[in-house]
Amino acid sequence: MFNALYLELFVVLLGVLMLLAESFIGRHTNRVYIALGGAVGLLVVLFLTSVSGVPPEAASWPAWNFYSPDPQAKIFKQIALAITILVLLMASDFIPVLTKFLPAEHPNAGIGEFFALPVFICAGLMWMASAVHFLMIFVAIELVTITFYILVAYQRRNLLSLEAGVKYLILGALSTGILVYGITWIYGVTGSFHLETIALRLPDVAEGDGKALLFGFGLVLIGILFKVGAAPFHIWIPDVYQGAAAPVTALLSVGSKAAGVIVLLRVLECGFASPMLRAELATALQWFAALTLLVGNLAALPQSNAKRLLAYSSIAHAGFVLMAVASVFGSELTGPAIAFYLGAYLLMTALAFHVLTLVTASTGSDEISAFNGLSSRSPFLAFAMTVALLSLAGVPLTVGFFGKLLVFIPAIQAGMLPLVIIGALGVAAGLYYYLKILRAMFWLLPEEGSHIKIGKVSIAVLSVLATLILGLGVLPLPLMGLVGYY
Amino acid sequence: MLNVAFWIFTFLMVFFAVMVIAHRNPVSNALSLVMAFLCLAALFFTLDAGFIGIIQILVYAGAVMVLFLFIIMLLDLKTERGRRINSSLFFGGLLMSGAMAYLVAAVVLRSKISERPLPPLAVAKIDDVREVGMALFTAHNLPFQVIGVLLLAATVGVVLLSRKEIR
Repeated sequence: MFNALYLELFVVLLGVLMLLAESFIGRHTNRVYIALGGAVGLLVVLFLTSVSGVPPEAASWPAWNFYSPDPQAKIFKQIALAITILVLLMASDFIPVLTKFLPAEHPNAGIGEFFALPVFICAGLMWMASAVHFLMIFVAIELVTITFYILVAYQRRNLLSLEAGVKYLILGALSTGILVYGITWIYGVTGSFHLETIALRLPDVAEGDGKALLFGFGLVLIGILFKVGAAPFHIWIPDVYQGAAAPVTALLSVGSKAAGVIVLLRVLECGFASPMLRAELATALQWFAALTLLVGNLAALPQSNAKRLLAYSSIAHAGFVLMAVASVFGSELTGPAIAFYLGAYLLMTALAFHVLTLVTASTGSDEISAFNGLSSRSPFLAFAMTVALLSLAGVPLTVGFFGKLLVFIPAIQAGMLPLVIIGALGVAAGLYYYLKILRAMFWLLPEEGSHIKIGKVSIAVLSVLATLILGLGVLPLPLMGLVGYY
Repeated sequence: MLNVAFWIFTFLMVFFAVMVIAHRNPVSNALSLVMAFLCLAALFFTLDAGFIGIIQILVYAGAVMVLFLFIIMLLDLKTERGRRINSSLFFGGLLMSGAMAYLVAAVVLRSKISERPLPPLAVAKIDDVREVGMALFTAHNLPFQVIGVLLLAATVGVVLLSRKEIR
C-alpha cells in the first residue's frame, strides 16, 4: 500500500522540478514541454491516489493526527489532481495571451512559473481534502489562497488582472481573519484543534457556552463559504474570475470550490455532534444555499462577458452544492451526490474554459461577442462549447443533468421544499443565460472571419472531455461508482 | 500584579489599534501599529509565554514594521491626507463594526469560560524555546512543512510580481 502522506510530497517535488526545469533548458526551447511533463507527473500521482492508505509500519506517525486518508478525501484529491492536469494543458494554449501581458526580457520568460504554481496549488488542495485538524485546514487553505493571489495578478500589464489581484488579496485576507477568529473561539471553548476531539467534547461544552460555540462555528462557516463562493460572500468572484487568466479561473472555480466543500463537510460533521449547533447550522446553510441560488442565477442573466457569466454560473453551481450540503443530516446520499456533482462540474467547466482559452488566444477578447459565428470559424470548438453549456445548464443526456438530479434527491428527502423550488427556478434561469453564448455561436455573424487553429493535444483533451460528458450523460454508473454510490 | 499588567496592556493595545485606522498620516498609522504589536508582545509576557513575546517583537515590531515604514516613506503617500471620507461608506462601516462588536460583547457576556477553572500549566522539563522547537518538529511537523511549501510559492510570486522585467 502506498503511504498517503507521500502523495502531496510527490506533487510538491514535481512543482519544484518544474520550477528548476527552466534553468536547465535553453532560452528558446518551447515551454509547453514543462506543462506536459507536469501533467504526466500528476497523472502518475492520480493513479497512486487510488492505491494509497496507511501502511502498518507508518501507523504511529503523529502526522495522521492532522491528515486523514479516508475514501472521501481520496475522491476530492482526484478532483484536485484532474482539474490541475486539465489546467496545465489549458495553460499551454494560453501562452500567446500570457506573453502579451508579461513584462518579460525574452518571450519565454515567466512561462515556466505559470505552469509550476498550479502544481503547488494542487498540493494545497490535496492537503485541504485530507485535513482533519484546524491547524492543517488553516495552513492548507493559506497555501492555496496565497498562491492564487499570485496567479490572479500574474498578467502584470493587464489592468483587469491587477485589479482582480488586489481585490482578491484584500477580501481574501479579511475572510482568513474571520476564519482564524472563529477557530480561536472554538479552541477557547473546547481546548482542541482536532476535529474529532472537538466533536467528543461538544456535548459537554454546549450547555454553558452554546453561544460562544455557535459564534465560533458561524465565523468558520463564513470563512469557508467565502472560499466556496457562496452568497452573500460572493462579491469578489465576478471581478476576480474576469481579471484572472482563463486557466487560473478554471482552477479557481473547480479546485478551490471542491476543496472548500470538503473542508465545509468535515467542519459541519464535527459541529453536528451537538444537537443545538446542528439545528442552527442547518438553518443557516439553507438560507445561504437559497440566497446563493438566487444571486448566482439571476445576476448571470444580464452579463455580456463570457468569463463573468461563467463566474456567476459558478456561484449558481455552488448554490446547488450547498443545497445538498444543507441536507447533510436528512439524507445518507448527500456525500456521494456532492462528489458526483463536483466531478461533473469539473468536466464541463474544464471544457468550457478550454474553449474560452482557445477563443481568447485567437481573438484577444473574452466577451460573449468573441464567440460570434464560432460555428463557421471552428465547428469543432462550437460543438465542444455547446456540449459544455448544455451540461452546465443541466439538459438531459449530459452528465450535468444527472449531477442536478442527484443533488435534488437528498434535498427532497430532507424535506426542504422551498429550497428545492428555488433550485428548480435556478435551473430554468440557467437555460436562458447559457443560451446567450449558443446564440452568439450559431446565429450571429463573426466580427472577424479568421479560422481558429487548434493543437493536437487540445483536440484530444476537448474530445475526451466532450465524450465523457455525453457518455456519462447516457450511462452515469461509472462515475457514480467512483464517488461511492455503490 | 501580572493581572493588572495584563489589563493595562490590553487597553493600550486596543487604543493603538484604533489609532492605526484613525490617524490620517501613514507614518503615524505605521508607528501606532508598532505600538500595538509591542503591547501584544507585553501581553504574551504577562501570560508566561516569554519566547512568543520575544518573537513577536523581533519579527512583527522589528522586521515587518521596518519594511512597512520603508515602503511608506519611499512611496510618499500624500494623497491619503487630503482624501475626504465618503459619509455613506463611513456609516456603513460603523454599522458593520458596531454589529460585530455587539455580537462579540453578547457572546463574551453570556459565556461561562471565565468561570471555569483553568488547568494549571504543565511544569516544563525543558526551556521555552526548546519546547516550541519540539512541538514544531515532532507533533506538528506536517503543518510546519506545509508552511515551508507556502513560503516557497510566496517567494516565487514576489520575484515574479516585483521584478521590472521577468528573466
